[in-house]
Amino acid sequence: MSNITGWAGKILRVNLTDGTFKAEDTLKYKDFVGGMGIGYKVMWDEVPAGTKAFDPENKIIFGAGPLTGTGAVCAGRTNITSLLASNPYNAVSDSHMGGHFSAEMKYAGWDAIIIEGKSPKPVWLKIENDKVSLEDARYLWGKGIFLTTAFVAGKMPKGAQVAAIGQAGENMVNLSVIMNNGSHSAGGHGGVMGSKNIKAIGIRGTLPVHIAADRRDWLEVDKEMMAVIGANNNHVVPSTPQPWAEYNAARSRWTATDGLTWGAANPPVNTGTCDPHDLNSVGLRTQKAVFDHGAVAEQYTVRMGGCHACPIRCHSTLHIPKLEKYGLSPNVSNTCVGYSSPGGIMIQGHSKEGEEGEGTMMSKAVGAQLADDYGVWCNYSQIGRDFKYAHESGILKKVLPQEEYDSIPWDLLEKGDPEFLVDFYRRITFKEGELSRLGEGAYWVAKAWNFGDDYWNSSSYNMWSKLGFPKHHSNETAAQVGSLINSMFNRDAQCHTHVNLTGSGLPIEIQKAVIGEVIGSPDALDAPNSYTPMNEYKAKFAKWSIIRNCLHDSLTLCNWMWPMTVSPLKERNYRGNTSLESQYFSMATGIPTTEAELDLMGERIFTLHRALTVKQMGTVDMRNEHDPICEWVYTINPDMQPFTPGTQKMDREDMQLAFTMFYKEMGWDEKTGAPTKATLIRLGLRDVAAELEKLGLLPN
Amino acid sequence: MSQDEKKGLLEKTSTRREFLKIGCKSIAGAAVSMTVLGFLGYSNAADVTGFPLSTGLLISDASRCTGCRRCETICTMFNDGKTDPYIARVKVGRNYNFGRDNITAAYRTNDGVFGNFMVAADTCKQCKEPACAAACPVGAIEAQEKTGTRVVNESKCVGCGACAAACPWAVITVDGETKKSKKCVLCYQCVKNCPTGSLKLIPWQEVKAAVRRHA
Ligand code: SF4
Ligand code: SF4
Repeated sequence: MSNITGWAGKILRVNLTDGTFKAEDTLKYKDFVGGMGIGYKVMWDEVPAGTKAFDPENKIIFGAGPLTGTGAVCAGRTNITSLLASNPYNAVSDSHMGGHFSAEMKYAGWDAIIIEGKSPKPVWLKIENDKVSLEDARYLWGKGIFLTTAFVAGKMPKGAQVAAIGQAGENMVNLSVIMNNGSHSAGGHGGVMGSKNIKAIGIRGTLPVHIAADRRDWLEVDKEMMAVIGANNNHVVPSTPQPWAEYNAARSRWTATDGLTWGAANPPVNTGTCDPHDLNSVGLRTQKAVFDHGAVAEQYTVRMGGCHACPIRCHSTLHIPKLEKYGLSPNVSNTCVGYSSPGGIMIQGHSKEGEEGEGTMMSKAVGAQLADDYGVWCNYSQIGRDFKYAHESGILKKVLPQEEYDSIPWDLLEKGDPEFLVDFYRRITFKEGELSRLGEGAYWVAKAWNFGDDYWNSSSYNMWSKLGFPKHHSNETAAQVGSLINSMFNRDAQCHTHVNLTGSGLPIEIQKAVIGEVIGSPDALDAPNSYTPMNEYKAKFAKWSIIRNCLHDSLTLCNWMWPMTVSPLKERNYRGNTSLESQYFSMATGIPTTEAELDLMGERIFTLHRALTVKQMGTVDMRNEHDPICEWVYTINPDMQPFTPGTQKMDREDMQLAFTMFYKEMGWDEKTGAPTKATLIRLGLRDVAAELEKLGLLPN
Repeated sequence: MSQDEKKGLLEKTSTRREFLKIGCKSIAGAAVSMTVLGFLGYSNAADVTGFPLSTGLLISDASRCTGCRRCETICTMFNDGKTDPYIARVKVGRNYNFGRDNITAAYRTNDGVFGNFMVAADTCKQCKEPACAAACPVGAIEAQEKTGTRVVNESKCVGCGACAAACPWAVITVDGETKKSKKCVLCYQCVKNCPTGSLKLIPWQEVKAAVRRHA
């Protein structure tokens, strides 16, 4: 295998039931690229329809890809594929984490780890290059993620990376995570590890990742990539006027400016003007603490952090001595929803004590650390909205036994005291009482507590799908494009291809021109809040967004940054470079692959996801059973008509047309939205077609 | 090993520990002070002027390092044509989670991302008296004529690893594939590519000036 490049060449299969290991050839999965693609293929081949997430027959696949560990820019993601307990059908889903875990996996010589069966007693998996063993984890059971990581790392050579679950995963809380590096968590699959009695994976690798290309060519592409890259979410315009910048946009994550610092660094580090040509300030562009918490956070910012080989540092690391008051470490790190979701649990607001914004920051910081240690997931912040609905509708009072209801520290909640979160997360993690049902996920909570139509149909609760997941860059992002994307997965969509462009900060005329060059017409994109009826280019834009997302999670590249649709460079007319993935892939693997050829692989991976969903749900009628959107999308702003400026309201018929056009672009059945036999065969998925045919799950 | 050698080693070890203690904090801001130079083995101006010195000194400003490890990947891609943090001449990954020291009960406040977030790159100090060169049984580690940079002469290197064992900073590694020792040659790639300017090459002119000021 020594001449394999890009990929490490081997996949590790761990059978927990009998404690055996096997090394398998990665190249049998090469048409599925890596990461997510390998995950789906293994699930298709090996996990029978009808299996539930916590059954021993379920498998969980940790995937890296041919670019992970190569040093390709932003190639630090780990893709985890398994059945998802919070989904009503336990349909397949991916959870992703950044950090350094998958790179280490590659350096240990593995492209993926397939974990199957169930261990008779708690274990952790130890990997040092090709030395693999299962270690006793009984003494780790019941411990949080931080301590577990310290223990596991302590039993390994320096430099080991550890992915672990907390008590929430052990207790098979549906909303639980797998985590590495203290703040990089993959949401939804912690309980699968818990159900299998596996607490952690520790990896240390000391081997190289080879590439096929000449190093000079590789470094040239690296240079091009570093020229077009922006700030976090590939925002390419700064948030405030800068001497070098033609534009600025308030909501840009490119927050750096002279005088804004990492205030708790010693000495403080000035983020500065960050001219896009200066390679040594790329990592200063995103002062994420201030973006996530407001100005108050500057003084607590130690630095930014993030994933392997990524120059954009999107996690803020904070030193807040007051955290010790809550029995926590003064040091906390996270980003975006990792901070905002605990904030959302404080449904009566935040303490007004201290500086402006301090109360909110404290809630977010306390909650982030608790959730990260227990390993609780938030279903993209839905847990807080479910709590809010149950509380405000009076349902909580009805469903909770009086004694339990009275034991909840409502006074802390009213005061906005973050101490409330200490109590809340403990109940969720240890499944204490009826309240902990919130940890089962929206679908199950709504069912058990009989949530009313107003929960699903009001825009206040953000529900996108009756399958129990919220919106995630949906109709407010490029109208039908974001809406289609949000309906295609079995959990909240984690696609950022479209929102990275619309959030880039560039004027809409430039955005339209750019996407026109990529997709074929500027009509693919509407101006914000000024929507036009569906057209085929929007369907193409949605398809391109999703298949790039699938590719990124297979290669593995970060879809919070990729693709490089635009750049911060005026001299390039703000054009990015959408061929960089295929250039990297070709150079790493030695398989010359064009942009279109790589996109086809993404299409294959995404279609396999659809086939898995059809198989697990046991119906071809995706249009009516899987894809529908909650009512509020069609009823918000009652006084306004769809397609009038100022509303994000969607039109029912137009959205049905959108689905039809999208299915057509994908080569799926236009009536049901299920993959057709012809398309499956075109994508090299003949075996998938045959099995679906046998099950009667091919559209007529 | 003779008594003297042992003593030398001990001294080095304690020097190293001392350095690490102040390292993160004092080098922050890239100020070259006498203290720092002292820890690197240069105790007076004569030392600096009288020895065939390397072009400069590569340091990591810990207050700016975000642990992205681009330095490790770029270093090995540029010098070895593959990505291999294990043999990178700048080493960050091993310090990433829990800092340079062993994991203790105080890990939530010690260095590393599980603690106070302090991550710093270990760099070759181009030592005045390079232990790596002294340890090499075939004399494969030499000072480059013009620059003074201590480099491995690969035609001589037998890959025995004596240098790696001797280096008090553990920043020289034998490549498992080529069986050649890999040490920093001051190629400057990590400095050029560090996204936060944490890595800096301080030219000796500046070092000398600093020493003269202090001497
Ligand atoms: S490239 Fe710079 S910021 Fe990144 S790990 Fe190396 S020294 Fe630290
Ligand atoms: S490899 Fe080690 S001993 Fe040799 S010059 Fe560098 S720091 Fe000094």
